[in-house]
Amino acid sequence: MNEALITLDKLSIGYNGQPVLSEISLAIARDSFTAILGVNGSGKSTLLKTLLGLLPPIAGRIDTAASTGAPLVFGYVPQSIQFDPIYLLKGFEVALMGTYGRIRPGRFVPSSERAFTRECLRAAGAEEFARKRFAELSGGQKQRVLIARALTTRPDVLVLDEPTAGVDAAATRTVLEFIAHARKERKITVLLVTHDFAAVRRHARQVLWLHHGKVLHGAADELVTSERMAEMFEMEIG
Amino acid sequence: METLRLILSPDFLLRNSVYTSVLVGFSCPLVGVFLVMRRLVFMGVALPQISSTGVAVALSLPLWLGFSLTGHGSHSAHVLAFVGSMTFSLTAILVLAFLERRGRGQPEGRLGTAYVVAAALSILLLSKNPYGEIGWLDLLKGEVITVSNFDLLLTAATLALVLAALGLFHKELLLVSFDRAMAITLGKNVVFWDVLLYLLIGLTVSMAVLSVGPLIAFGFLLIPALTAHLFARNMRQFTMLASLVGGATAFLGFWVAYQYDAPVGPTDVVLLGMIYAAAWIIARCLPGNPGKSHKA
Repeated sequence: MNEALITLDKLSIGYNGQPVLSEISLAIARDSFTAILGVNGSGKSTLLKTLLGLLPPIAGRIDTAASTGAPLVFGYVPQSIQFDPIYLLKGFEVALMGTYGRIRPGRFVPSSERAFTRECLRAAGAEEFARKRFAELSGGQKQRVLIARALTTRPDVLVLDEPTAGVDAAATRTVLEFIAHARKERKITVLLVTHDFAAVRRHARQVLWLHHGKVLHGAADELVTSERMAEMFEMEIG
Repeated sequence: METLRLILSPDFLLRNSVYTSVLVGFSCPLVGVFLVMRRLVFMGVALPQISSTGVAVALSLPLWLGFSLTGHGSHSAHVLAFVGSMTFSLTAILVLAFLERRGRGQPEGRLGTAYVVAAALSILLLSKNPYGEIGWLDLLKGEVITVSNFDLLLTAATLALVLAALGLFHKELLLVSFDRAMAITLGKNVVFWDVLLYLLIGLTVSMAVLSVGPLIAFGFLLIPALTAHLFARNMRQFTMLASLVGGATAFLGFWVAYQYDAPVGPTDVVLLGMIYAAAWIIARCLPGNPGKSHKA
């Protein structure tokens, strides 16, 4: 396994001082593909938000080890349903937002960044959506644009929140294939929250399984056995 | 046509009022676009009224403290009114936005209460104030009256500042409004950009209220943006069309009001309402128009 890129040390996370998950200690390896699994309300989104810096930890610490010494760059792919259709943004304009982290306030986006954004849209198979209104794209098309946007950040870590939710099976396969391909080609660490482990099983080598307020971490084949999957499934429908 | 020639004449007595109305008409929709996109339309209703209460309180202060000012045209009265308007606008927008973000209680109830109490309080304060009798009360009721060169200059300078800031920081303000989480992961200070946006909205509202009154300020903040959203296909079109609708209606409103000897404020707002209604019907009839599927 590669060296640790993100290390969680006795981390407690939650809202308003009330922990959802406690005493999390684990390491996420550089260039790994990790699936974050768990039933509804198990704390998947809370963990994601804490890793991204959207929520402060209640206790413990998160250490990161970017090779350049600079802070890690997270390419965040949120769920596409959260965006308000009132914004009249084209696919290209949404993807271009990923470059804003490198451009100082008051400066225009240089043509090199625009060209890079077009390249990322092409790589994500979203080139044809660049001129279309983001709000009018289908779930799968929006996901591709959002993945392109995450790539334009030039990320160390790609963080995806249920990227296949509301997406049909064929589009799910294509999106996951692309993510796996981008990880290998661009040496990106992938953290992916999902309900659908069956879909990501081919790609995810590591699993974080949130269960009863604890986080289990290990190799996918060892951790996600058929007995555990059945238990998780029963809890979800129960 | 004779009236139009007269209004456009550089010797026209009320030329400053025309220029001020048109300036406000062009500028208010630029910040109104952000109020519409952030779904803060009710705040756009309450804010000008709260701002006008700030004017009333500021002009009552000398009375309470035993000082005297020289009237509506005086610079000191105008500056005092601007400080009052700005203080109330900014405080209100920051408090209301904070409560909105916390997501507790009933936002519509809060804003409705703030609106009606602010309206009553401003009229009450100015009815007991000598400055109310010499023009300020008329202004707060929505009647654009004489605008001095100083007022016009102050309005133009403030609105130029707002315009420059909106142009320079458009990408940051849009990012923070569209996807707050993304902005944080990119290392943007979202609180700073929120406060800057609210400052620009507060500044525009204060200046508009002071120049043309809360009725027109409210009308120009929201209705041009709602109208433009029916037809615009991208953010640039949205912003420019809203500004154009605002500026053109301000001029048209003044022309109609002058022609028929009607108060300018209510004429402007009724015209805006008619334009919005007509635009809504046209948008429904146009095939493939974005206004058909995504409404503000």
